[in-house]
Formats: sequence, structure tokens, C-alpha cells
Amino acid sequence: MSATSALKAKALLKAKPASKRRDATKAYCQGSAVLSIVIVSVILLTLLIQSLPVLMSGDNGLIGTQWNPDEGQFGIIAPLFGSVFVMIIATVIAFPIGLLTAIYISETRSSKLRRLIKSILELLAGIPSIVYGLIGVAYLNIWVADLFDLQSGRIILTAGILLGIMILPTFLTLTEDALSAVPQRYRENAKSLGMYRHEVFKDIIFPQAKVGIAGAGLLALGRALGETMAVMLVIGSLDRLPSPLFNPLSSGQTITSKLGREVGESAFGSVHFSALVFMSFILVSITIALTILSHYFLTRKPSDV
Amino acid sequence: MFKIKNRRHFYEQSFAFASRLSLIICAGVLLFLLGSIFIQGISALSLEFLFTPSSSFGKSGGIFYQLFGSLLMVLVAALLVLPLALGTALFRNSYNKNSAIAHIMDQSLYALNAIPSVTYGIFGLIFFVNLLNTGISWFVGSIILAIMMLPTVTLSTYQAMAAIPKIYHENAAALGLTRTEIVRRVTLPQSFHGVVTGLLIGLSRAIGETAPIMFIATAFSGVSVPQSLVEPVSTLPTHILELAQQSTDPQALQNAWGASLTLVLLAATFSGLALFLRSRLNSEGHQ
Repeated sequence: MSATSALKAKALLKAKPASKRRDATKAYCQGSAVLSIVIVSVILLTLLIQSLPVLMSGDNGLIGTQWNPDEGQFGIIAPLFGSVFVMIIATVIAFPIGLLTAIYISETRSSKLRRLIKSILELLAGIPSIVYGLIGVAYLNIWVADLFDLQSGRIILTAGILLGIMILPTFLTLTEDALSAVPQRYRENAKSLGMYRHEVFKDIIFPQAKVGIAGAGLLALGRALGETMAVMLVIGSLDRLPSPLFNPLSSGQTITSKLGREVGESAFGSVHFSALVFMSFILVSITIALTILSHYFLTRKPSDV
Repeated sequence: MFKIKNRRHFYEQSFAFASRLSLIICAGVLLFLLGSIFIQGISALSLEFLFTPSSSFGKSGGIFYQLFGSLLMVLVAALLVLPLALGTALFRNSYNKNSAIAHIMDQSLYALNAIPSVTYGIFGLIFFVNLLNTGISWFVGSIILAIMMLPTVTLSTYQAMAAIPKIYHENAAALGLTRTEIVRRVTLPQSFHGVVTGLLIGLSRAIGETAPIMFIATAFSGVSVPQSLVEPVSTLPTHILELAQQSTDPQALQNAWGASLTLVLLAATFSGLALFLRSRLNSEGHQ
């Protein structure tokens, strides 16, 4: 108690001579912090303001399936559906494989092996998305075309598989963290009661780790929705809803692939451009919501469950 | 009883089988990815490939200016983000006492991290290229990449600062150092490794980014060393994108693999350095 007051007294005594320099450092830090927050706000505001022209122009078929800039039709339903569809395929591929592999790794006793696997996963997550795109173009789309006897493998399914491979490392490593965070003694106790491994997982580990796994899943979903280059190269860029609706073997379009293809071609200030910015605004809103939600899950302690 | 035990046993066997199968699938995917990048890339890669300019729209020649453009853009981005991230992390760690402000800062950084890369490109196109009328410019590309790196570098720096033992601050304060002196003599030197690892991880991600820079900073051909801030450069990721779109041409594909391997090796070098630094400094810290 007296130590802190002595500290305060000393700080006060010292404060005057150094006050000028302290102000400079403090002002620099405050300035940086303000600038960081301003940047985020400016990005979101810019997107919102540039979305206004299409929102204010009547009869643009925004909530429709027709995309035809020459006729003033800017329906966002087809790419929105495409984004969700591709994301679902990626999830169906990545989540079960990721979860089961994470279980296997977290039950391994060797911490050396765990660290090696983690490093490899980090390396995989660091492969640029354009390189995944190249692999998709050079191999995957040809394999898919051969497998289903199609003329072109640039279809929704190919994009989904590629995306599933891309989000696997992120999901796997975060899920493994969540599983490893469950104290070892829970496993030991459960096993000594004669429970099988699947029962230990189902009844002991999963209830403890499910919040962390949910966080990992949401973060991976956000990544999947925002991924551009790889998807753009293999999805075929067709501005129509697939028919029948859930046909993964038809070409499609996601919001990101549409943006990647068309932003460079549309004139700044046109309604066409504004429609694209509006799409990107929707995308950002979804991914930010997913990420903030996932941080909420990932930072909660297991004991809160 | 017997039946139940059988069923349990069956589930146990299937569970073990499924998790092993998943591991094998993951390992297979991993081998395929790394294998294809290396095997295809190695045959295209040579010193000559790295140091000759590309010709006939990337189909022949090397990737010299692409390599130069990529490195220029990310290194300048790192220089731009360094002071901002350092100041933000210092503020969060040493000056801010208000938990509401800390919360807003955290959420802003998470939001920056969540924004899809293509959106950064659109923002740059609207804000810099059109509203500020810079035109296609590598420097704008660097600014955008710096913004993308901001959360990574700031959070890494902040974590390193938060990990400094409290006793260091207390000792420094007991010696009569002011807060600014503590920042300069304790916080900064003790968290320097966090800044460097954050920068390296940021660099390894930024160098592979395509979507943020393809509208605002790059041109595909006819580009050499920029003479001013507002000229386009050519980069490895956008080069691979162009070549991947001509994937039916084996020569173009060959060069795309070479450029990809170069890019992956660069990214791996940055993140490998970060890992090395982190593990070395961590083990020193425990002594």
C-alpha cells in the first residue's frame, strides 16, 4: 500500500522535467490508436457510401436473379446463393475430416509430433490462395471433369472441394487447440472408468471443447466466404442460379468471384460499380459478424460451458 | 449386456478407423499440394528464370520484375505498418486505462482481419485510385497491404508487451522512471521480438495476396522498375493469375509453376524466420 503511494509520489516528482517528451510519445501512441480505428471506419463508410447509388436507383432488380448491366438489372441472388452453396460444400468436406484428424492428433501423446504437425499446418495455411487456384486449374478441374464426364470441370463442386482443402488447416489447427485445452486428467479419469475412446470424446471432451470448435468453425466459414482467387479460377463464372437449384455440377458464381472478375471492367461511379460495391458490403458484414462471433467463442473459458 | 458391449466395441472400432482415415486423407492432401508445387516448380526454376524479365506475355523468359515488384511492395508495406502498429500496441498496453476503448480497439482489429481481401482491393480502388486520383500505383498497393498487415503486427506486438513480467515495470517505476522512460527502456526492448515476428508473419501473408492489389497496383506486361510512386509494378501473384488463365498453354503453365514455387518459398522463408525467432526468444525468456 505504502509502496504504491511512494511510487506515485516519485512519479509525480519526476513528472515535470520529462513532461514534454512524455507528451510526444503519448501523443504518438494516441494518434496511432485513433488512426487504426479510423481506418476501419473509413473502409466501412466508403463501401456504404459507394453502395448508395444502386440502393437509391429504382427498378434495378437488386433482390432478383437477373444480372445484366446493359439493361440495368443487378440481381445479387445468384452470387449470394453461389457463395453460400460453395461454402456449404467446403464445410461438408473440411469439418468432419478436420475434426477427426484433430481428435487423432490431440490424443497423441508425443508433443514433438504435435509440434511438427502444427508447423506443417502453419506452412499449409501460408500457401497463397492464387497457388491453390493454380492447382485447381491444373489438376482438380480436370479430375472432376473426368470423374463426372463433363466438358468443363469449372463448376461449383470443384470450387467447393478446393475451398474445403483451403480452410482445412485453419479449422484443424484451431479445433486441435480446443481439444488439447481440455485437461488431461479428464481423459485419464474417464478411461480409468472403462470408457471407450469414442465415449471419452463424445461425453467428456466434446462438451468441454464444443465452444472452441464452434469458434474454429465460424472463423473457417468467414475465410471460406471471403476467399477470392482460387474460387474465381475454378467456378466457371456463370451469372445464373444452378438448375436444378442444388446441382453442384453446374457452373456458378460467388460474390467474391464476381467482384474479382467485374470490378476492373466496370466504370467508377456507375450503377454497375455501385452494385458490385453493395455486394462487397454484404460480404464484409457477414464475415465481420462471423469473425467477431468466433472470437467470442474462442476466448471463452471451457469452465464457462 | 453382451449385445451392448458388441455395439460399443463396433462404435469404438469405427471411431478409430474414421480418425485414422481422416489423418491419412489430410496427409495425402498435404503431400499432393506440396509435391505438385515442388515437382512442377523445380523444373521451371533456375537462376536464369529468377533474373530474366518475362517476355511474350509471360510465356517465355523469367520473373525478374515480378519478383522485384512483389518484394518492393511488401517491404514498403512493412515500413508503413511498423510505426502505426507499434504506436497502437503501446497505447493499448501502456497508456490506455479505459476498458471500453480497449474493447473498441480489439473489435476494430478483428474486423480488419475479417475483411475479405478482395474488399481491400475495392476500397483501394474507390478511395485512392479514384477519389484521391492516384491512378494505378504500387505505393497505393503498399498502403493497402500495410492496412491488411496491421492487425497481425499489432496483435503480435501487443501480446509480446502483455507477456513482459509485471515485476519489470514495478522495478523500473521503483527506480523512479517515468512512464515514457519505462516505455522506451523496458517495454520496447522487451517486446521487440513481438514486433519482428508480427512483421514477418504479416510479410509472409502479404506477399501472396492477389485480390487486394490486382485492381490498384499492378499491370501485367511492359512494366519494369517504377520511376515514381504512382506507377504500376508487376508482381508474382498477379503474374500467376494471368498465366493460370492461359492454363491450356503448357509453356504458360510451366512458368506459372515456377512463379508459384518462388512465391511459396518466399512466404515460407518469412514465416519460417518468424517461427525460428519465436522459438529461440521464447526459450531465452525462460532462462
